[in-house]
Amino acid sequence: MSEATLSLEAVRARSARGVRARRAADRLATGLLWTAAISVVLLLAFFVGYIFYLGVGAISWQFLTAPPSEVSAGGGIGPEIYNSFYILILTLIFTAPIAISAGIYLQEYAKPGAFRSLVQFSAESLATVPSIVMGLFGLLVFVYYFGWHFSALGGALTLTILNLPALMRVSQEALASVPSTLREASMALGATKWTTITRAVLPSAVGPLTTGIVLIAGRIFGETAALIYTAGVSVAAGKGAYDLSPFRPAETLAVHVWYTHAESVVPDVARIGNGSALVLLAMVLLFNVGARIVGRFLTIRFTGKA
Amino acid sequence: MALASPGRLHAAAVRAHRTEFVARTLLRAASAFVVFAIVALIVYLASEGTKLFTHDHVSPLLFLFSPTFNPDANAPGSLVFIVGSLAITLFAILVGGPFGIAVGVFLSELAPRGVVAAMKPAIEVLVGIPSVVYGWIGLTLLVPLIRTVTGSNGFGLLAAGVVLSVMILPTVITLSEDALRAVPGSLREGSLAMGATRWQTIWNVLLPAAGSGLTVALILGIARAIGETMAVQLVIGNAAVLPSGLLSPAAALPTEIVMDMSGAQQGSLLSHALFSMALLLLLIAMALILAVRFALRKRM
Repeated sequence: MSEATLSLEAVRARSARGVRARRAADRLATGLLWTAAISVVLLLAFFVGYIFYLGVGAISWQFLTAPPSEVSAGGGIGPEIYNSFYILILTLIFTAPIAISAGIYLQEYAKPGAFRSLVQFSAESLATVPSIVMGLFGLLVFVYYFGWHFSALGGALTLTILNLPALMRVSQEALASVPSTLREASMALGATKWTTITRAVLPSAVGPLTTGIVLIAGRIFGETAALIYTAGVSVAAGKGAYDLSPFRPAETLAVHVWYTHAESVVPDVARIGNGSALVLLAMVLLFNVGARIVGRFLTIRFTGKA
Repeated sequence: MALASPGRLHAAAVRAHRTEFVARTLLRAASAFVVFAIVALIVYLASEGTKLFTHDHVSPLLFLFSPTFNPDANAPGSLVFIVGSLAITLFAILVGGPFGIAVGVFLSELAPRGVVAAMKPAIEVLVGIPSVVYGWIGLTLLVPLIRTVTGSNGFGLLAAGVVLSVMILPTVITLSEDALRAVPGSLREGSLAMGATRWQTIWNVLLPAAGSGLTVALILGIARAIGETMAVQLVIGNAAVLPSGLLSPAAALPTEIVMDMSGAQQGSLLSHALFSMALLLLLIAMALILAVRFALRKRM
C-alpha cells in the first residue's frame, strides 16, 4: 500500500539499502561457511598432531614387539598388532567375496523388483546396526551357540557381517563407474554376461574397488565394540600369542586401548594408551594413503587411463 | 588347429551357458546372504532380548521407565541409560548437525574444485579414525579441559556430547553435500537470475529443495550417535543415575552393555537385561531406517 505513495527517489534509496544488506548477509554467510569448512580440516590436523605428540614418546621397538603385561609396567603391544592384522585379513577373506558378489549381482544382474529391493533394504538396515549390538549377536552365535569361546574366528565373522553393507556399496559404486559402452561392446562381440563381467567390467572397476576395500580395511583395523565379546580381551602367554589358529582369544590393538584403561591394573595405562592410539592413527593414515596409491596404480595397469 | 566343428561349437556354447548359470546362482546366493544375516540378527536378538520379559517376568514398562538399575535385586530399570543415550544424541545432532550441514553446503555450493579435492580425503580420514582414538582424545584432552573450566570432574554428558558431535560430522557432511548436489542446477540459475544473492539462493531455494536429503543426513547422524560405544564409554563417567545437567556423569545404553557384559553370567537377569538393551538399540536403528525410507518417499 505504502509503496505506491513513495517517490521514485525513496524507492531507489530503499532498494539500494536492500541490496547492501543482502550483499552484507551474503558475505557474512560466505565467511561463516568457509570458517566451518576450514575448522573441520584444522580439527583433523589438530587430532593427528595431538596423537603424535602424545604417543611418540611411548613408541620403541620394545613397545611394538613385546607382549602385554598383566600387572607390572613395561608391557608392549606386539601380539595385539598381530591380532589386529590377523582378524583384518580373516575378515576380508570372508567379507570381500560375499560383498563383491552381491554387489555384482545387484549392479549387473538384478532387475528392479522385490528381490533387489529386499537385498537393498537389508543392506541399509545392516549398515545402521550399532557395532556393540553386532558384538552381542556374535556373542550369541559364535561364543554361546557354536561354543567357540572367545576366538579370532568369531571376531572375524562378526566383523564380516558388520562390514558387508559398506563393502557391497563400494563394489556397486565401482561397477557403476564403468561406462556401459564397454559392456555393450563386449556383448556385441558375442561374450556372455559372465565373460563380459570378468573380462571387461571388473578389470575397469578394479582400481576404485581396491581403493574402497582398503579404506574399509582401515575401519576394520580400528573396530572395537564388536570384538570385545567375540574375540575377547586377552592373548595367550609366550609364543602362543602368535598362534596361527583362529580358535584362540585374540585381543586387537583397539580393544587393548579400551581394556587397559577400563579394566587393567598396570600402572602405565597412559603410556600404553598413548602409544597404541598413535599406532592406530598411523595405520589409518597409511591405509588411507595406500588406498589411493594402490587404486590409482591398478586403474592405470588395467585400463591404461590415469 | 582344426576348424571348429559344429559339434565343438555347440559344446562350447553349452559350457558357457552352464558357467553363466552357476555364476548367476552364486551371485544371487551372496545377495541372499545379506537378507539372511539381518533376519538372523533380528531373530537371535529378539529371542534373547525378550527373555527378560518372558523368562524373568519383568514388565517391559518397568524395564523402560524405572530409574532403578539393580539386577541383583530384580530391578533392571533402564531409564537412566535411555535418558543418557537420548541426551548425548540430542546434543550431538544439535551441535554437529548444523555444523555438518554448513560444511556440506560449502562443499556443494562454494568450494573451488581444488578445495573439494583436498577436503574429501580429510573427511575420509575422520571416518577412519577408530572410535577408541576419539575416546582417547576426549579422555586426555576434553575431560581435563572441562574439569578446569567448570570445576566438575570433567566426565559426563557434555564431554560425551562433544565427542559425538565430532564423530557424526563425516556422515552429516557427506550426505548433506550429496543432497545439495542432487538439486537441479536450473533452480540455482533461476534464483540467481531473479537477482538473489548466493546466500539467498542457498537459504530460500536450495536448502528447502534438499530438505528430504538433509533430513536423511540428520537421521543417519542420529543413528551413528546413538550406537556409539567406545568413545562415549571413555568420557561419559559411567554413573547409572539420572543426569541432572550437562556436567553430570551419566551412562548410555551401549556403554552399560560394554561395561557389564563381562560380568554377566549367561542366562542371568543381568545378561537378559543387557540383551534387552541391545534389542532396544536395534529397534531404534530399524526405526531410523524406516524414517529414512519415509523421508525419501515423500520426495518421490
